[in-house]
Amino acid sequence: MKKILYILIPVIIICFLVITVSSSQTQLHKQENKVTVSKNQNSKISDKLTAYDVKGFTCKSCHVNEYPTKNDPGLSDCPREYMVSEYRSPKEGPDVVVINDMSDNYSGVVFSHKLHSQMSEMSGGCTGCHHYNTTGPVLNCRNCHDKNRSREDITVPDLKAAYHRQCMTCHKQWTLENGCNTQCHLQKGTNIEQVLESYKGKEHPKVNSPEKMLWETNSDKGKMVTFFHDEHNKLFRISCNTCHNQENCIKCHEKKPREDYSKPVKIQKSLEEHHSRCNNCHSGNSCTKCHSGQELSPFNHGKSTGWTLNSYHNKLECSKCHGNSVPIKKLDRNCNSCHKNFTKGKFDHKVTGIYLSEVHMELECKDCHTNGDFSKAPNCKSCHDDKSYPAQLPGTRGKK
Amino acid sequence: MKNLNRRDFFKTTAFGVALATLGAKSAKASDKMLSEDRIGVLVDTAVCVGCRHCEWACKVAHNIPTTDLDTYSDNTVFKEYRRPEQTALTVVNEFENEKNSLLPIQVKTQCMHCERPACVSACIVGALTKEEDGSIIWNDDKCIGCRYCMVACQFQIPTYDYDRSIDPHIRKCDFCHDRRKEGQLPACVNICPNEALLFGKRSEVLRVAKNRIKRKSDVYVNHIYGEQEVGGTSWIYIASKNFDKLKMPTLVKNPAPGISESIQHGIFAYFIPPVTLYALLRTIMWVSTRHKDKNSENLSDIHKDEKGEES
Ligand code: SF4
Ligand code: SF4
Ligand code: SF4
Repeated sequence: MKKILYILIPVIIICFLVITVSSSQTQLHKQENKVTVSKNQNSKISDKLTAYDVKGFTCKSCHVNEYPTKNDPGLSDCPREYMVSEYRSPKEGPDVVVINDMSDNYSGVVFSHKLHSQMSEMSGGCTGCHHYNTTGPVLNCRNCHDKNRSREDITVPDLKAAYHRQCMTCHKQWTLENGCNTQCHLQKGTNIEQVLESYKGKEHPKVNSPEKMLWETNSDKGKMVTFFHDEHNKLFRISCNTCHNQENCIKCHEKKPREDYSKPVKIQKSLEEHHSRCNNCHSGNSCTKCHSGQELSPFNHGKSTGWTLNSYHNKLECSKCHGNSVPIKKLDRNCNSCHKNFTKGKFDHKVTGIYLSEVHMELECKDCHTNGDFSKAPNCKSCHDDKSYPAQLPGTRGKK
Repeated sequence: MKNLNRRDFFKTTAFGVALATLGAKSAKASDKMLSEDRIGVLVDTAVCVGCRHCEWACKVAHNIPTTDLDTYSDNTVFKEYRRPEQTALTVVNEFENEKNSLLPIQVKTQCMHCERPACVSACIVGALTKEEDGSIIWNDDKCIGCRYCMVACQFQIPTYDYDRSIDPHIRKCDFCHDRRKEGQLPACVNICPNEALLFGKRSEVLRVAKNRIKRKSDVYVNHIYGEQEVGGTSWIYIASKNFDKLKMPTLVKNPAPGISESIQHGIFAYFIPPVTLYALLRTIMWVSTRHKDKNSENLSDIHKDEKGEES
């Protein structure tokens, strides 16, 4: 009897185990996965779309590949009837945008578009937010981003995420009760007209830029680096976004209290970042252009270019000679390049301090100023074997 | 189960030695049950803003008591590194961002729902099961509280309700099994403002992850965590920083079940009567509950040991 029990007990337990294990396996097969996820399908391209008929557009109307990149945009034949080549500028944008596409679930948002877009040129321009927007009309987020989180095509974020990602990248420090619900989402009972009114005429304050910056480095090429910020910006007309095109708002807005916003911000950058900005233009210069033992002096036309600006030229706007192009055009030393009217008889040679004799007045400029180079001494040898300037003069010295 | 002959039966004395040799035979059984359309979630840590709404939603969905959502804005919790526990099946931790100190990196942690789950293989009573859709769920009624799964899991996920050692509860993320049965998304995925948690077929989210890395190669490190680790996981991660710096364990490609399964299979293969086993396990339980204060330390020690054995 005892023996039977010894055999029976383990057998019963094993049977029990086998049953439990197998039942848990059959469960597996019965399991149903209700959240269906299936493949994306390329939408068909209509032949009759025009640029402004954006409703029928999806990314895939133009791009046949799923992840277009700059190098591989995967463009299909253009479905538009004519080409649009206008690029948008932040100035054209609206002052405020009311976002209430998802107001059935979330309270709407009044977005101060102007305040944000004014600074956008420092961080990639309109396309920083309106990404993948080609020329022509600015598309709404909902054109590409699906309202449903549970959706077939998960290659692009849903609409809720698309909105939030725009805001939260900078406003990461916001909390529900200090940010999200106070600055963005309208709360119940808010008078929307009032909110809209409050944004009227609001602009981003002018950004104060430093006059010059001085760094002490440990470079053996010269410890001090002087950078004349104002000069680059105002004199050489290099626009802010030439250098500041990938800035993040929080570089200014989180670093210091609001009352200090009027002071320039010191932006932390790596050595490479510092150099890369200068190298955009100065790659051909030697290190000592910036690196020196001491602080450098500001731009001086005579020292830097070898052409000292005297009484006439130093009264002129730079653009009068150099035009409006950026970077500033280098000029030659030929007066006729600018002064097209400086010809025989028309040029009052007295302004140079040399009053020409009657005979010399009859000559062409290039007879003495060979090759039209007025910075060099005039050449007397073509007429007078025995004379040279300035030992002998082609007239008399007088007041300039 | 393997064919037994008399010689095998008498080999029980050599059980310990045999364990090691069985290590290589891993969980092939779970392979064939996995659906082609099995689900996954991509955690994009470069998109996560650390709002911790996912933590809140997870608790609400699992009837775990919690304070208001407003209180989750308090980011002082980030000062300490946290692990999931029975009262918080998922937690978000914060890490420094060297590229921009003003924008730290946040990483959500929960069960990875491994493709070859060590916890399932370790469980001797089949309380943990891998579903066809890839999720790992468990059955409280079957759990005997042996905590093999805790030891087996390389991610230290299953946690144990020490207050109820008589009627034990193992707790971990269940991929919102109940919600999904009703056609809803997992609670955390649903609430995330930035869709830092992208839910879909595992194959799809993997493709999205690859493309995000390809398109923003300046942002992401070229590594999809969970694509291959321990044979692949359902929850996969991409990040702007190396994963070992985000306290994600550096793991080998091979699935972990080898070890734990060999224990379990060894036992059955060599016919140790389960009664003995239960007695043994109950003794282990009894001994370890006496040391429950020190347990977290013990656990990490065991982990170290196990990793050592693996490599
Ligand atoms: S809800 Fe989303 S964004 Fe917020 S902490 Fe969780 S994963 Fe990150
Ligand atoms: S992470 Fe751990 S608990 Fe989750 S499935 Fe993998 S082994 Fe199991
Ligand atoms: S899937 Fe569900 S159980 Fe898992 S972490 Fe998300 S909310 Fe929690």
